[in-house]
Amino acid sequence: MENNRPVIVAVGRTKFGEHYGKKPEKLIEEAWLAASNECNLERKELDTCYMSDYFLPVTNKLGLEEGFLSELTELHVPMEVTRSFSAALKTACHAIEAGVYSTALVGGIEKMTDRWDKIRDDLMLLEDPWSYYAGGTPEANHELLLREYIKKHGIAGEDLERLYCALAQVAVKNHANGAKNPYAQFQRKISLDTVLGPRKAANRSLGLFDYAPISDGATALILTNESVAKKLGVTPVYIYGYGSATDYLNYTARSELNHFVAGQLAMQGALNDSGLNVWDIRLWEIYDQSTMMEMVSLEDLGYCTAGSAWKSIDESYPHDKGCYVVDGKELYVNMNGGLKADGNPLGAAGGAQIYELFCQLTGKAEQRQVSLNGAAPKYGGMLEFEGFGTKAYVNILGRD
Amino acid sequence: MSSEPIERRVSYLGDRLRAIRCKTCGKEYFETRDYCGDCGRESYGKMDNIDLFYEKGTLECCVLIDEPTNKFRKLDRFIYGIVSFHNGKIRVPARITDQLLKDNFDPALLEGREVIPRFRRRCSVGKSDVVPTISLAFTFADQYYPYQEYKIIQPTQDYELPGIVGYGVYISRFRIKDGSIERAVPFIDEDSVTAAVEAGKLALIHSGLDSRLVGKIYVGSESNPYAVKPIAAKVAQVLQLGESDGDLQAVDAIDTEFACKAASGMFKDACALVSYPRSNVNYAMVIGSDNSQAAPRGCPGGELDAFVGYGGAAYLFGKKDVIAEVEVWYSCTSDTPDFWRRDGEHYPMHGGRFTGDPAYNKHVRNAASKMMEKSNMKPSDFAYFVPHQPNPTFPVRIAKDLGFKEEQFLPAIQMPKFGNTYSGASLVGLAAILDIAKPNDQILVTSYGSGAGSDAYILRVTNQIIEKRARQKVNIKFLAENPFTEFVDYSTYRRLKQGM
Repeated sequence: MENNRPVIVAVGRTKFGEHYGKKPEKLIEEAWLAASNECNLERKELDTCYMSDYFLPVTNKLGLEEGFLSELTELHVPMEVTRSFSAALKTACHAIEAGVYSTALVGGIEKMTDRWDKIRDDLMLLEDPWSYYAGGTPEANHELLLREYIKKHGIAGEDLERLYCALAQVAVKNHANGAKNPYAQFQRKISLDTVLGPRKAANRSLGLFDYAPISDGATALILTNESVAKKLGVTPVYIYGYGSATDYLNYTARSELNHFVAGQLAMQGALNDSGLNVWDIRLWEIYDQSTMMEMVSLEDLGYCTAGSAWKSIDESYPHDKGCYVVDGKELYVNMNGGLKADGNPLGAAGGAQIYELFCQLTGKAEQRQVSLNGAAPKYGGMLEFEGFGTKAYVNILGRD
Repeated sequence: MSSEPIERRVSYLGDRLRAIRCKTCGKEYFETRDYCGDCGRESYGKMDNIDLFYEKGTLECCVLIDEPTNKFRKLDRFIYGIVSFHNGKIRVPARITDQLLKDNFDPALLEGREVIPRFRRRCSVGKSDVVPTISLAFTFADQYYPYQEYKIIQPTQDYELPGIVGYGVYISRFRIKDGSIERAVPFIDEDSVTAAVEAGKLALIHSGLDSRLVGKIYVGSESNPYAVKPIAAKVAQVLQLGESDGDLQAVDAIDTEFACKAASGMFKDACALVSYPRSNVNYAMVIGSDNSQAAPRGCPGGELDAFVGYGGAAYLFGKKDVIAEVEVWYSCTSDTPDFWRRDGEHYPMHGGRFTGDPAYNKHVRNAASKMMEKSNMKPSDFAYFVPHQPNPTFPVRIAKDLGFKEEQFLPAIQMPKFGNTYSGASLVGLAAILDIAKPNDQILVTSYGSGAGSDAYILRVTNQIIEKRARQKVNIKFLAENPFTEFVDYSTYRRLKQGM
């Protein structure tokens, strides 16, 4: 009898950054080949493909992405497209659990630099049209989130300076991690002054180095059931818990503007699903489209109380230690450099988060490898968003 | 390429800031919807339409945008944030407009300030696209344009003759100063459509008239951003003139064009319409609004660049609670090419010295003197004379020629304060007089439109002008002496005038 528990058996990815000369299809091919090589699986063994891209139809005028995936794999199996990697993964998990398929390719792809000059208009129109109509920019929403946070928690004076500095430390830490990631878009360390300089020059609370870049890239993983995984003879990584939640498209219409309610709910769902406690998971890939998002997510995920994450960050000196220390406990966040340094190709970014967790859990993260009590971490979590906090997904991965 | 159906839906909601309130629990939503999210199916059909168009909001939170998205690039730098209404029941994204930000400052210092929605162009689009508009642009309630409540007041008094029941003048915050002349300059998101809506809004506030009772709207302009598409339809929709029937307004709306007399020429039509027993139109609105363009100085047509202003004026006509009865009128017309703009051309051409005697002087003199002759009146019978005012010298010369004294016509000459507002010019002059006139004063108004023609009207002020005057903070004196007025240099003026 088949054991239908979904297993991630292999992961693959491209370098993130600018791939000027490559078609989007070329990128997903690279990622898929890397994953299939790893588990020694032939394309004919795939029963289905799920792929995510946030807005290839807009950036590359490509509809019917399934079509080029079919050409690429020379397969005529069922294929579906979602907007985020987590959504593709969850759909594949459902299918495998239900026993409909036994082997699935889950891929993510985005090619944003092809539409360099119009990308901010596109992003803003897709993620929050009314704010766009009023003149809003993607960066303005992050800054408003920060303003709302500061006001909600009454942070002022020296504390406010510490908060701004804590946010800069998030970027410095992520760049330091990115420097150890051969696939990262930015593989160089930066200093606190690198972050603070552009902020000061623009007279803004968040500057160039607080934001994730726009990127091209693709990621892929192969999901099978436990029976197939055994035959492949790989180290199995399981999805221990999953949670997802949705909030309004228009940021200003939401009930709470100083954090992401959807992120909080997704985490609760994932904890319930997994039966784990918050601190059972000490390795996280957090969706840091801005340093502010990483900070506030530490609260939404339950590691810091509301209004306190900046203190924990500031007191941990993460750029020295490489991890946060909250209440004396170590918390490893964005070991691949996060979206900030690794890159942010929207539909593929979640795949890079899973890629990192897979490497960490299987002890293959090389110089980025986290060691907890002398061993590779048993659990790792990832938080992915679609839009500006509109959809949130939490996946908790683990080894038995 | 813009999508017309999307454009229609966004501006239908956004121009008026349409919102909705659940009758059961009181929850409010920006945008319209059929039921309340909290009360569910039970609330279906039990939602009240509200809007935020005449409301005052609070700027809760804001940041500076200095790298706008492409379609907002012409705004350069602006304050953007979250505005709340009704103690936070509704929050909307907001752009603060009418600000030329130069120095660095902390936007957080602006948080907590009261703001009012302003109807503006939304963003830049291609030359052949629909012009997008929205009222998610705000200005501070304690600055240039103050908050005024729109309070509907039931009329009490009937008049035998039709007349003006309310008026409003809109002039932008910015000015350019050339010698002794100050001219209004639109902000970059303003045009003749936005000025028409603002003027109409002020006229409704002044009259206290329920906008649903307005049966006809005329908008006169020579600077409509469209060759084909009426300004009046936008005004009717945004100001909700006539009864609303779904997303239709039960009102007749029409644009008129005759250079500077496009609006003043319709006063008599509005009066005739509200007097006709079977018209079923009790009130009619006439708006003159212009953002006239002029070629740069030194180019053909560039002589106009020294005079063009920006603004609009709206007048409501009816037979109840009249503040100035329209007693009689006289018009004359001839085919005189003193000023014209060919279709497709950006800037108008100008007949140079021949715009004086054979054009302006001839027609204004004829209309004013024939009017007096026919009604057996002489200049000394009038408290005030309002001439059309394309520049500072023409109106003074003609008024003196006709035998008026300075105290009769100087208060009406506002051109040196606002520039030539074209279709709005004689209407602004009349507003300056109505701001100060006493009951029973008689006023002679003579408009002029190139091309060419002139309309003369005799108005008699009623007692009710006094009580209504108290309702309008934004009068001509307020606009002319406003301490929040901002002066700009020539290159900024040209940039703002060019628009988004």
